[in-house]
Amino acid sequence: MFDMLLNGLGLVASLSTVILVGAGLVIGLLVGALPGLGPLMGIILLLPYAITFPPVQAMGFLIAIYVGGSCGGAISAILLRIPGTPLAAATLFDGYPMAQKGRAADAIGIAISASAIGGAFGGLILILFSPSLAAFAAGFGPPEYALLAITGLTAIAAVSDQSMLKGLIAGAAGLLLATIGTDEFTAAERFTFGLFELSNGFNIVAIVVGLFAISEMSSLLTGDDLLKRPELSVARPGFRSAFLVLKRWPNLLRSSTIGACVGALPGAGGVISSFTAYAVAKTFAKPEERYGEGAEGGIVASESANNATAGGALVPTLALGIPGDAATAVLIGALLILGVFPGPTLFAQHSDIVGGIFLVYMLANVALFVVGILMTPLFVYVLRLRKVILIPTVLLLCAIGTFAVGSSIFDLWVMFAFGFVGLILRAGGYPLAPMVIGVILGPLLENNVRRSLLLSNDGLQIFIERPVSATLLFINVALLICVAVFALRRLTAGRKPDILQGSA
Amino acid sequence: MKLRSIFAGALLALTAISGPALAEYPERTIESILPAGAGPALSVSQIIAEAMSKELGVPLTVLATPGAGGIKAFQTGLNKPADGYTIIDGYVAPLVLQPILKKADWNFEDFIPLHAAASNAFAIGWRTDETRWSSFEEMMAWGRENPGKLRYSSGQRNNLPHLVMARVLQSYQVVAQNVPYKSPPAANNDVKSGILDFAFVNVGNYKQDPEALKIGLVLSEQPAAKAAFGGAPSIAEIDADLGISGLAPMGWDWWLVKKDTPADRVETLRAAMGKAMNDPDVRAKIERMGFVPLDWDHTNYVEIVSGVRDQLSTMADAIKWEEDALKAVK
Amino acid sequence: MIGSLKVGRRFAEWCAAALMLVLVALVFQQIRDVLAPAGMAEGGPYDNAAAYPRGVAMVLLGLVALQIVVQLVSRGSLNERGFRLDRFTRPAVIILIFGLYLGLLGTLGYHVASAPMLFAIMAACGSRQWGQMIAFSLGISFGLAWFFESQLDVVLPGGIFNLNIPW
Repeated sequence: MFDMLLNGLGLVASLSTVILVGAGLVIGLLVGALPGLGPLMGIILLLPYAITFPPVQAMGFLIAIYVGGSCGGAISAILLRIPGTPLAAATLFDGYPMAQKGRAADAIGIAISASAIGGAFGGLILILFSPSLAAFAAGFGPPEYALLAITGLTAIAAVSDQSMLKGLIAGAAGLLLATIGTDEFTAAERFTFGLFELSNGFNIVAIVVGLFAISEMSSLLTGDDLLKRPELSVARPGFRSAFLVLKRWPNLLRSSTIGACVGALPGAGGVISSFTAYAVAKTFAKPEERYGEGAEGGIVASESANNATAGGALVPTLALGIPGDAATAVLIGALLILGVFPGPTLFAQHSDIVGGIFLVYMLANVALFVVGILMTPLFVYVLRLRKVILIPTVLLLCAIGTFAVGSSIFDLWVMFAFGFVGLILRAGGYPLAPMVIGVILGPLLENNVRRSLLLSNDGLQIFIERPVSATLLFINVALLICVAVFALRRLTAGRKPDILQGSA
Repeated sequence: MKLRSIFAGALLALTAISGPALAEYPERTIESILPAGAGPALSVSQIIAEAMSKELGVPLTVLATPGAGGIKAFQTGLNKPADGYTIIDGYVAPLVLQPILKKADWNFEDFIPLHAAASNAFAIGWRTDETRWSSFEEMMAWGRENPGKLRYSSGQRNNLPHLVMARVLQSYQVVAQNVPYKSPPAANNDVKSGILDFAFVNVGNYKQDPEALKIGLVLSEQPAAKAAFGGAPSIAEIDADLGISGLAPMGWDWWLVKKDTPADRVETLRAAMGKAMNDPDVRAKIERMGFVPLDWDHTNYVEIVSGVRDQLSTMADAIKWEEDALKAVK
Repeated sequence: MIGSLKVGRRFAEWCAAALMLVLVALVFQQIRDVLAPAGMAEGGPYDNAAAYPRGVAMVLLGLVALQIVVQLVSRGSLNERGFRLDRFTRPAVIILIFGLYLGLLGTLGYHVASAPMLFAIMAACGSRQWGQMIAFSLGISFGLAWFFESQLDVVLPGGIFNLNIPW
């Protein structure tokens, strides 16, 4: 292992690598922070440029976009209550309230530090356990993925807080929305109303931007301070925010581990890991930390988890040649173009390249901390804008950002329609995040349940016969019991209206 | 008054710098619409796009537009103006297969070809520690004795590999269950871990880990395809005569533009793509992806594509045969 | 006056419940009228595209029914603050402008439609510094266009005039 890194060092140690990583991070933070575009689009758009460099430098550039993009969404979530990417939807719970209390710079500092440290932790896992983690992930089949999706759904209970029933409704609606498009099994269209634009379902970016952005802009508009310059004293974030994060090391360690493990499972992804890590952190937290009202721990959990997922996703990508998510699928493409075949043979024959990629990944995370903190004042400037400028600009950005993902005007209408859905749900006290969880987990759940049933000739025994699947089933049952007991305890504590009505 | 004149001035300035009729084509970014998501096909198209972009002097971006077996991408392209700024990446599935399956109402002759792009061959593979059979013929014998027991994946249902694999199975009278997977590597992984019995493998996935899967049958009679899969047996060597040859059992794409695109723009694009496809660097990159760069220019389009269509048409009933046979077994 | 009417959480809750019921109804209607005739609502997991959405829709229906019961039972216990309807005039106008913009974007193109949209929203927010508003509208719309078109190679909608700036 050490040899591998040492060999790789020769490929990494150059000024041009450092410059490429820095440029990649700036691009990544921007595409992440702008509502709409995310790390995947950033990588696709810049791949043609990246492949003009040698493999390790090209990977450094693309991985930096991936790392920066996985973190950038937090910035708009904190400042505007609009997740720049679906990955940051869980960061909003505590990031936005924190910014409202005048701690925007701290919140962003924490998000960036947690991302960098979580990402680096994911990198350590990548370096130390790549082969064994890959073998573990390779054992996951359809029944395991189906149960994993259910584990992810239990996070709804945690993130919907006092309005669990409404959270479950939003989550179930999300699952239904995810069934729109081409059914993977019959290869026929379903619920598309004859619109070819719907044949791949709703664009998740359009859903997220619409749900959050339009309702948030509308709520800003009800204020009377549209023309005034905000009298906000925004403190400069310092490198000290790293200490705020490190102080919460058990949370950091736990969330990063969740992130890296979920990342190592192809097809699971950062949204699941950030919500799961948030839910777990909240469960372990003391009541006085007040999760959902600006707890630092909430940002630490979701941001360290989604960046650790990036490191985790590189495990199956490099060790098995199976992409961990869509972004790493494009990374594999870049490697293949450059004549590098990810997989076990790569580890055996070109350990210098593997070591080099490990190192640029670590470099990207370290650099994320520096570049991110330096760029924060630029982002925080947004809060000083008068709302009369901010609101139209954000709406225009949402429109172009969503359009750019699929070059589709139809997606803009989807965004607009979900804006209304978001308005109604928010006004009715429904949490919005469970709908995003439902839409993301829907295909994972449905397709793997059907695949499992197809493999077992409609028998349910496939879920208990396989050891990993049986373990996951046990965990899920335990989780559900916990959730139920938790809800009952609150019911009997006489706080019924709270549980059922919730807060906006 | 003042306001209006400023606005009118801005509009005028805009038209002056971007009036499409005045300027030389191409003057802005061209988009190529790919009927697939992130994956090897996207990379191959990006290689060609990048080389063409250098020739044309404007960016050429690839828009990954998956959905409905490629139909969404074609529809998206057809809804854009025929001005030479939209290229349709004409993969065989939406171009030929979907019309045969009556899922799309266009014909390949409804498009203007630029140049052939690349092809990729498929093979059937199973796990290396398989004990029930050691050759394709043995697997077919096992399958005949155990109707409906074999489970395989062609990736998506009703795609080209599914059609070819169903045709092969039909000619051996073997009834097997296709299990759809969105991502071919995930299906390959489930073959390795014993959940599936066999799956389609493309060259890129094979090359990443040649030890992991045993290639039992290369679904192409062409020597280059056999060589790409490490010399595994091909359909030229088995007992059954499948009646498929050339490009028919393979994935391939031909870059197209809409009918009514101005002829001079078509010529500009053709020249750029011709140069790109002849660039040794481009060819080398495509070959590293496990794809084979194709040499045909637009003059061969009708002949080659109609040949494929005729062969695929004769096979179209194979998937239906499989569905009926499966129902009969259950 | 309509403006003095009050709407609040309770009204929104009924709207949300209705929205969910519409979603469930659509699923059942589509299964009955589209999937079933196409043979996609029967058979095993390979052929049945309706079983899973039907199952989820039933769960959703159950949850919404429970929610409606809660809404009926908790009537009165909720301290209804309510907002005067005229508070929503401005957001409604701005959403309307934005919707109009999206509707015209495909026809007029980004470069023609964007600056007026920004301008109109600023005006609807109550700003009256016309010169500054024009400068901001043009600056923001062209600045963002520059970033997306020349830096990210995104092709913004050109509209019927095919207006695209070759940066």
